Amino acid sequence: MFACLLVPDFPVQAALLLEAKDEAELLRRSPIAVLDGPSNLPRVIALNDAARNVGIEVGMTKLQVETCGGVYLRKRSVDHEDAAQAALLECASAFSPRVESTCPGTAILDLTGTEKLFGSPEITACKITVSARQIGLHLRIAIAANPDTAMYAARGFAGIAIIPVGDEAKILAPLPVDILPATPELLEVLESWGIHTFKSFAALPSIALTERLGQQGLALQKLAQGRTSRPLKPIEPTPDFIGNHEFEDPIETLEFLTFDLNRVLKEICDQLVAQSLATNELRLTLDLEVRQTRDGKDGEQYKHHWKLPVPTQDRNMLFTLLRLDLERNTFSAPIKKLTIEAVPVKPRMAQGNLFAPPSPEAEKLEITLARIRGVVGSLDAEGISCVGSPQILDTHKSRTFAVQSFSSSVETYSPPAVIPTLALRIFRPALETSVEFTGKAPHFVRLWKKHRRVLAASGPWCSSGNWWNETAAWAREEWDVALKTFEGVGYYRIYLDRVRRQWFVEGVFD
Amino acid sequence: MMSALSLRAQIETRFPSAFATYRRPELRAILTGISQIDHLTGGVPMHALTEICGTGKTSVLVSLLARASHEHYCALVDAKDAFDPAAAEAAGADLSRLLWVRCGKTKQKLRPLEQTFQVTDMLLQSSGFGLIVVDLSDIPEKIVHKVPPSSWFRFSRVVENQPTALVFVAQHAHATSCAGMVLKLAAGPATFSGKLLTNFNFNVDVLRTREKKGVQSATPDFSIKAQWA
Repeated sequence: MFACLLVPDFPVQAALLLEAKDEAELLRRSPIAVLDGPSNLPRVIALNDAARNVGIEVGMTKLQVETCGGVYLRKRSVDHEDAAQAALLECASAFSPRVESTCPGTAILDLTGTEKLFGSPEITACKITVSARQIGLHLRIAIAANPDTAMYAARGFAGIAIIPVGDEAKILAPLPVDILPATPELLEVLESWGIHTFKSFAALPSIALTERLGQQGLALQKLAQGRTSRPLKPIEPTPDFIGNHEFEDPIETLEFLTFDLNRVLKEICDQLVAQSLATNELRLTLDLEVRQTRDGKDGEQYKHHWKLPVPTQDRNMLFTLLRLDLERNTFSAPIKKLTIEAVPVKPRMAQGNLFAPPSPEAEKLEITLARIRGVVGSLDAEGISCVGSPQILDTHKSRTFAVQSFSSSVETYSPPAVIPTLALRIFRPALETSVEFTGKAPHFVRLWKKHRRVLAASGPWCSSGNWWNETAAWAREEWDVALKTFEGVGYYRIYLDRVRRQWFVEGVFD
Repeated sequence: MMSALSLRAQIETRFPSAFATYRRPELRAILTGISQIDHLTGGVPMHALTEICGTGKTSVLVSLLARASHEHYCALVDAKDAFDPAAAEAAGADLSRLLWVRCGKTKQKLRPLEQTFQVTDMLLQSSGFGLIVVDLSDIPEKIVHKVPPSSWFRFSRVVENQPTALVFVAQHAHATSCAGMVLKLAAGPATFSGKLLTNFNFNVDVLRTREKKGVQSATPDFSIKAQWA
């Protein structure tokens, strides 16, 4: 048997759920309407019986409702409705492990095998009603042999409705056909035929009905007859892919840590595989044992998270990534607990592109990048990544760039339009220098502790920016100069930082 | 008496590669985008180690990266962090397909040159990159000169089996016979047009190439315009 729990006037009850209990009871007996829509013209989308009795209808504007007087108005809140639905499902879950969240305000649960626990269907329905009242929900409950019949009975009858097996059509007979999930056109056809109730619709000859309305008409007739049969789609709790291990004695060496790390990762990956999921984000937390200090600190945590470019279930790859990171770090205290969390996502379903250039394999590349970071480091002194794709920042200041993570699944394609241009080799950081002028042009530039004669100069090229911000303001005066060096002639770019009043050599043309 | 052929067949059944001759893979090439160099060399060969040295190497490198990034994923191992992404973008490079490894930016156990070689090794093992450029220009010459020949030999043998062009950019050529091609560039006088530095003149010497024996002494000139000219 299946029980359908329906919350009548769901938006209204959801709005009342967060009110204080006494006030909610008072409001429940008073006319109340829920409004939704654009802020300049909200309309009624739901109301209670008391509001119907004073003449309020769905679709009325706020102004029309206010003319009736004495009606409490609430704005629709999706968050409140989600909370109410969650409360409904929680209530249903107390009576059956198989609960379907059919639609907002409706839940269907499978009562098969619960008789010994809760008693007959009538008693179970009463218990559900009492339980729902305690959390502030007033329900309609219908119990039937199939989920759809229970749902339409709950929509059609107030209170508790028990439909014995075989009597579905008889009990559903007085319900209006417009509660069926039919298109407006089909309802119009039924109206033109004089079909207003389930009874008259169920009595139509099936073959003739199929000839006129197709399979959709036949499916609706089966609903009206209470003869449908569909499997329940029970909600499943979202599994959390978290594994942890607490060490009996805090450990100090990486060998012991990696042993348990591998085991915990294997458990998580097995869970992911069992659920046909993968992960693209991994979070590692290590609880360190820190002795009591004067400021009372008794523990520390090391946290790190990896964002992978592609979802994966590959334990070896994840393990290598974690191990490479741990090898780069030294911990201030022994490790007492290890926790790994994987964020589940759908696995990658990719087909190779015939026209894409050959690219490094995504999983292998990620490990290579981790190894490279182990060799060259992750971030430089300015916080810019040492490994990745360069990206020119959208700013007027020259030579500003960022380094973003490199991915081998770049879809961009741009036709080759290569224009050989003169390149500058940049000195990072720029070399401090001094410049001597003759007239308005530089005459000598000090480079690598020697004065170099300027043979030709191009400039000055002035630029500035962020002048409205004292800390970020910059202004520079650039010169391109040909300097006499031991090797011959070298072409350099020098600039005056007008904010710091200092000359620099930015780079050499090469 | 056993004939030579049957003897050979018997040996081959036990040692299949006993009489196999070593064949170099057919060389495909990546064009540099500078017509004079491409005409002269046919481009930078894949499956081989190439050296570009002298003055003007960075401009050739940027042009090569710009051209290659439209067809391949590229990696630049920058020993002294001297690469200018703005110049590459101006040349038409697809920067999203470029992996830039900036060596020597943090305090690490290894020195920049050692980091550079280790990273290059990893990238070659990773495979999938059509072009790997190693920029050693700012490493002092006396240090690069100490790199043992076995390292160059190993790189040349590894890259032979991969569809990758491995390019070393340095002040002077070091790989000797391990290099499939060696280009030596030299700068001519730059042109100042009024107050503006407009273009540079270069000439290129092909010191070594496996493919075109007859062009080794050719020294064509070419000029590269500045971005603002």
